[in-house]
Amino acid sequence: MMNWIIFSPEFYFLLVSTVFLCLSMMRRIKPEQLYFTALVLASVGVGVCLACVRLTGDLFSGTYRIDLFSQVFKVMLSMGLFLVVCLCTELEGIAKRHHPEFYFLLSACTLAMMMLVSSVHLLTVYVALELSSYSLYTLVFLRKGRDRGVDAGLKYFLIGASASALMLFGFALLYGSIHVAYLVEILKILPKVLNRPVVIIALILLLTGFFFKLAVFPFHFWAPDVYESAANQVTTYIATASKVAAIAILIRIVALAGDGSAYLVHMLVTLSIVTMTIGNLAAVVQKDFKRLLAYSSVAHAGYVLIGILSMSQAGYSSAIFYALSILMMKFTCFLVLVKVSDDGRNLDIEHLAGLHRRSPILAMALMMALFGLAGIPPTIGFTGKLLIFTAAMQKGYFMLVLIAMINVVISLYYYLLVVRAAYLLEPKEQLPELQVPGSIKVLAGLLIFGMVAGGIFPQYIIELSRTAAMTLM
Amino acid sequence: MTLYSIIFYVLAVLIIASTGLAISRRNLVHAVVYLVISFFGVAMLFYLLGAPFLAALEVIIYAGAIMVLFLFIIMMLKVEAFEERFFPIRQWLPALGMCVIFIVAGAFMILGDPDTRIPLKAAAAEPVAFGHYLFQAHWLAIEIISLLLLIVLVAVLYLGKRKEQYK
Repeated sequence: MMNWIIFSPEFYFLLVSTVFLCLSMMRRIKPEQLYFTALVLASVGVGVCLACVRLTGDLFSGTYRIDLFSQVFKVMLSMGLFLVVCLCTELEGIAKRHHPEFYFLLSACTLAMMMLVSSVHLLTVYVALELSSYSLYTLVFLRKGRDRGVDAGLKYFLIGASASALMLFGFALLYGSIHVAYLVEILKILPKVLNRPVVIIALILLLTGFFFKLAVFPFHFWAPDVYESAANQVTTYIATASKVAAIAILIRIVALAGDGSAYLVHMLVTLSIVTMTIGNLAAVVQKDFKRLLAYSSVAHAGYVLIGILSMSQAGYSSAIFYALSILMMKFTCFLVLVKVSDDGRNLDIEHLAGLHRRSPILAMALMMALFGLAGIPPTIGFTGKLLIFTAAMQKGYFMLVLIAMINVVISLYYYLLVVRAAYLLEPKEQLPELQVPGSIKVLAGLLIFGMVAGGIFPQYIIELSRTAAMTLM
Repeated sequence: MTLYSIIFYVLAVLIIASTGLAISRRNLVHAVVYLVISFFGVAMLFYLLGAPFLAALEVIIYAGAIMVLFLFIIMMLKVEAFEERFFPIRQWLPALGMCVIFIVAGAFMILGDPDTRIPLKAAAAEPVAFGHYLFQAHWLAIEIISLLLLIVLVAVLYLGKRKEQYK
């Protein structure tokens, strides 16, 4: 008899998706009713995940593992869903009649990512990853004005399908050479055979699927177009929750390699350097705010890789910490973006002009989030970068950290451009004050508080991520 | 070289060649026919590796049902052959270069590994044993796939709507 209690977060989100699937078949549901249903269900979801955080156990003949690592990420994912739902008061980017489908796909995607972070068998990892990818492709398609969403969605789908093909080839090579598919058993065998060329090729191919999710070079080409063409709320979800899940599964897979081999580390170092440099240099010239955030996501994928390629407990725990900080900082940027473009259009950076007068709290939140992304103390982003760079220094990757520091300086330039637009530029014509509901003001205040508190008193989160990383080794 | 490995390599060449032809044809009907050949090759490969049940499924579902569906769609939509290249040659060449480098490097690395030279042996998996294993050890994966099909169904319903219906 299986212990079903430990599966309750997944059950809960399966239930939520079923509710929205049924609602999508009903006639005439008001968008407000849907929004409140989603808000309540998502907030209960965070509660369910928090309640299950200390549970451990194995399910489904060992293909599914509940441990602190997976549960911490499940809490982050449910928080991501809840925050994205908070932004859906005016879901202008998506046609009214497709709102139930939007919520259905969003909750199904969250469910898929939860299963992804808990899977410990190659087959389960693959199908869970595909489930989350297909929900995201469809979400991108849903953008109002159809052609735009379809173009970007197709691009996303084609790159994603090629990445999964490569990943499956990697799975096949790995299984063919070591004959086990349970991650626990791979963990025992892999470090011994890591100098075999087949195994290295298998691992590199296998990682491509996750690199695609995280938008690591050379699988980052979808990011700017998809960010630009998807509805603002969908972009928020892709930039926050899906990145968190990608970081989780990447940590789990790289942790299999134990101390790693020189080939693997060299490849990851190269990818990390190229990814962050390309991301930061391309972001400098962007006019569209969402494209800028897309390239900044690419750059952050590079930073996270530094933590992961350290292949030490400190490295993995710093990557977990960084996942949380990306979730908060990126979400805050998108909160401002969604609220400023209340009719669901895309936003240029110059449209942010005069924001500090139109809504001081949003301008403040944007500034804190951008400072966090740039890594300025005392924000959570600074602590995250510090942890990652320390972990890399302990392993002696001095050059890598130096290059990353140079990248941080480049990124500071374009983040400050946005802050300048919000605080110093005057709008061309006088714009009315933004109507920001009280709840959003409270949310923005809480996020500012969270980012600063996470920067000054990170001890609890660091401890938690360290314990979570310990379950992997 | 055993008889099994000779058959294996013949099949592998057949599959790669027919798939290559399938993705490079301008005429869609020809492309589908080459794809059917490739699926037959894969089915024979499954049979050779001792999975007759999967071989039968491959023929019935992929080479049979899905390909007929493709042909239906091509004929009903009356899609003309594409005149221009899908990718301009300028983008195509670097991609080809990367592929060649990867194949050469990969081949060298794999040939340099002594453990990859394992002679192919005959094997067999009973369909019953296979089914028991799949549905006992991996039924979570099967459930996830069923959810995946549901999501794809939603996507197809959405994308399949005519433009007027979509507002």
